[in-house]
Amino acid sequence: MLSEPTVDYAGIPLPEVEVFSHVLLSADSTEKVLNALDPIERIRQINMTGESVPSTLNNGPAKGLPNNHSERKVIKVGGRDVELRYLVGAFYIELDVENEEMLDEAVGKIRSACETTMPRGFDLSVGRYSKYRKTLRDYK
Amino acid sequence: MAAYKRQFYPGTTIPAKNRKKVMDPKVKLKKLRDVSMDDVVRIMGHRNPGEDYKSIHPPIQEGKEPDCPIRKLVEPIEGAKKGDRIRYIQFTDSVYFAPISPYQRAWMYLSRYRGIDTGTLSGRQIIEIRERDLEKLAKEMVDNETFDPALTGIRGATVHGHACRLDENGLMFDAWQRYVWDKNKKEVVYVKDQVAVPLDRKISVGKPASMADLKKRTTIFRADGVDMREDKEVTAYGLRIHKLRTLGGYQPFNVKDV
Repeated sequence: MLSEPTVDYAGIPLPEVEVFSHVLLSADSTEKVLNALDPIERIRQINMTGESVPSTLNNGPAKGLPNNHSERKVIKVGGRDVELRYLVGAFYIELDVENEEMLDEAVGKIRSACETTMPRGFDLSVGRYSKYRKTLRDYK
Repeated sequence: MAAYKRQFYPGTTIPAKNRKKVMDPKVKLKKLRDVSMDDVVRIMGHRNPGEDYKSIHPPIQEGKEPDCPIRKLVEPIEGAKKGDRIRYIQFTDSVYFAPISPYQRAWMYLSRYRGIDTGTLSGRQIIEIRERDLEKLAKEMVDNETFDPALTGIRGATVHGHACRLDENGLMFDAWQRYVWDKNKKEVVYVKDQVAVPLDRKISVGKPASMADLKKRTTIFRADGVDMREDKEVTAYGLRIHKLRTLGGYQPFNVKDV
């Protein structure tokens, strides 16, 4: 995952939902999952992780040639362009919730969105998987 | 006393028997597909099909060899006779029940072929040999039962993927996408050579095997397949080597009755 957050740190350890796919998802499937998650309320940010797909060949005799990987492309999520650089294997969804009821409701919606878009299976767990405030690394 | 009969590998479970089978040079491995020699040469990318072999020394028959009893004793392999370059092929084997894994590849190569140099890493296995012998060997390895189109990759560089989850089509991850899934034919097709230089035309390596079939063919012990601890003889063999290596390293006087 990126060490720099895509949105500002919350400062407090808000719950995160880890959705860990049983297979590596294609770009089209990733687009479907994200678009299913997009309308769910109380999602603060979604980080994705997976296996890196380079844009150019980074070593060997063919170094420098374009990679032309079919799954490295720009997908549309909620009308916005998102450039995929990974074959996505997991989603980390940070929730802006204040109590258990809100959390359970959001997690339930996330679970059903994933069930419809990830037929090959996934594991879902709630916890805190990334940092939520600045640490020494942020003061370079 | 009867002559010692080589046992190759202990155990009675499926992976143990498969290990025995691949290592025994008397067992002919099953041929499952026929990728043409030209296509294998294209995937390796060392020379163009039909091109002459480049050489690094004059043919041995020219008689410029020094007078040496070992050279008289050892019959050179075909490529060495002709002075071919040494080239390589490298396979990546997925941990998800690939038909063979790198360590057994080394055992198999050394047990079955002459004139090779092989190197084992966690997820890949390189084999170096004179070019014309390499081509024969590579074709055998691509055609026979130790190769699965989805779970075995021919990768010269950037081999990462053997321990990754499979993709939606059941293919092992490859950052350079040397092979793709042909939806219509339900086959795996190579579009780049082993170092990811695009190929002029697509090369099909056939349909992947089913998971049920692979579990019968694999040499891999896994907790969700056959656990190595289920095979008492294999476990005992591993423990014996571990004990001998550990004691032999620092307390050789305690090596008794093992």
